[in-house]
Amino acid sequence: MDMKNILKVSLVAVLALLVTTGTNAQSRKERKILYNSQYNYEIEPVGVGQDGTKVFKVWGYGKDVGAAVMNAKEAAVAACIFKGLPGGQGSAPTPAICSQPNAEVTNAEYFENFFKVGGKYLQYIALTNDGDPSGEDRLKIKKGYKVAIYVQVMYDQLRKQLEADGIARRLDAGF
Amino acid sequence: MKRILLSSIFLLAALVSFGQAKKPIIMIVPSDQYCISRNYKMTFQNQGMTQTLPDYKTALQTDPDLRMVITKMGQIMADRGFPLKDLEQELKNLEQERAESSMLTSSSSGSEMSESPIDALKRVAKADIIMDLDFEIKRQGPQKYITFTLKGLDAYTAKQVSGAAGAGKPSTAASPELLLEEAVLSYMDGFNAGLQRHFDDMFANGREVKVQIKVWSNWGQNLESEFGDDSKELTTIIEDWFADNCVNSRYNLSDASENFMKLEQVRIPTMRTDEKGRPRAVDTRSFISDLRKYLNGMGVPSKLYLRGLGEAWLILGEK
Repeated sequence: MDMKNILKVSLVAVLALLVTTGTNAQSRKERKILYNSQYNYEIEPVGVGQDGTKVFKVWGYGKDVGAAVMNAKEAAVAACIFKGLPGGQGSAPTPAICSQPNAEVTNAEYFENFFKVGGKYLQYIALTNDGDPSGEDRLKIKKGYKVAIYVQVMYDQLRKQLEADGIARRLDAGF
Repeated sequence: MKRILLSSIFLLAALVSFGQAKKPIIMIVPSDQYCISRNYKMTFQNQGMTQTLPDYKTALQTDPDLRMVITKMGQIMADRGFPLKDLEQELKNLEQERAESSMLTSSSSGSEMSESPIDALKRVAKADIIMDLDFEIKRQGPQKYITFTLKGLDAYTAKQVSGAAGAGKPSTAASPELLLEEAVLSYMDGFNAGLQRHFDDMFANGREVKVQIKVWSNWGQNLESEFGDDSKELTTIIEDWFADNCVNSRYNLSDASENFMKLEQVRIPTMRTDEKGRPRAVDTRSFISDLRKYLNGMGVPSKLYLRGLGEAWLILGEK
């Protein structure tokens, strides 16, 4: 085998290695997508909220702390609508307001408007520790921050709004 | 995706075009375990056997925790569009009704109202969906916590359609009332989601009901007698009718003899169009009324006996 062939074979081998490792490990780009994912809500229950509200700790990502806090507020409302809240600290699991599958795709236009910067979703966040999170709730990550805030979401009002807009089904719909 | 979208459009279109289905009545009833363990019970002898039954009236009149939980749950359900039938008020109404109907006479002839023994027996508190409730304040050292069980039961099929159960977070400082309120707030969303699934299934696949076919003993014929041009057994004729009229032909003949047929998981449509073209809500009585007419046409008279929104008996032989 001459030098040229050896080079060719080793190039193929290196490429093959790259391809196989690439399928298993998560690349930096993929991790970035994960951070931006609309499905990646990190929620931690903290107890039972007052009548019609839910309280929990929610994480957000952003270039600076302010952006991460806004992202966390968005995630808090989005989790109530699409994902539901896990149980813990004395509170039972709460199901998602939109029980039908793929609600975020079916009503994409509505939710784009609902979650736009300064959008209506902010109306349903009642209380947060809006001062800059510190200590273990503020993590410096590469190119930004991951922060946690405590939120109280006006869950019943949010549900009623979505029911009135025809996005979620009322319990007594059809009767 | 496309299929999901299409099916939800069809479902919505069906709901919009067909109007309103019959709304089930929901009532909270403390569980037998709750009443009996707290001595809200009535004990009597029935043919040599001691029988213990829950005494709802005493429970509701004397137990403040129970009243609070029922009120809180009622408030949440009313907010979701399902005002609950109140057991305490219903029991009072029934007592009043009993007193009034025994005193009421016609002004011209002095006649009493006609009432058969079965009419009197039917004067009980009834609901289509029962919320069977049970809770207990438990102690662990200095701490208190609540165990909470709530079952949503379909009164006719006896199926559990929704449920919520669990234990709350132990607390030293919080009062039992606060812990109870927390328990209700915590579990009701999950319970209502279960109820929503039940209703969604009902609109998609029909209301699930129970039907019994029975025979009067003086009829002289039974369910094995042959009728019609092609001399089919009555059991087969009735089964064929259910296959033709149930939603997706879904029913289950769970037991039968020459004298009775027990049909369960019968899926009846929630809406239909009547002779005048108006949309009408369907309940078991109106559904089985069609079977009665069909059998009448074959020379089989029958009596239709209603047991609520979800159960009816058809007794063959005479009215």
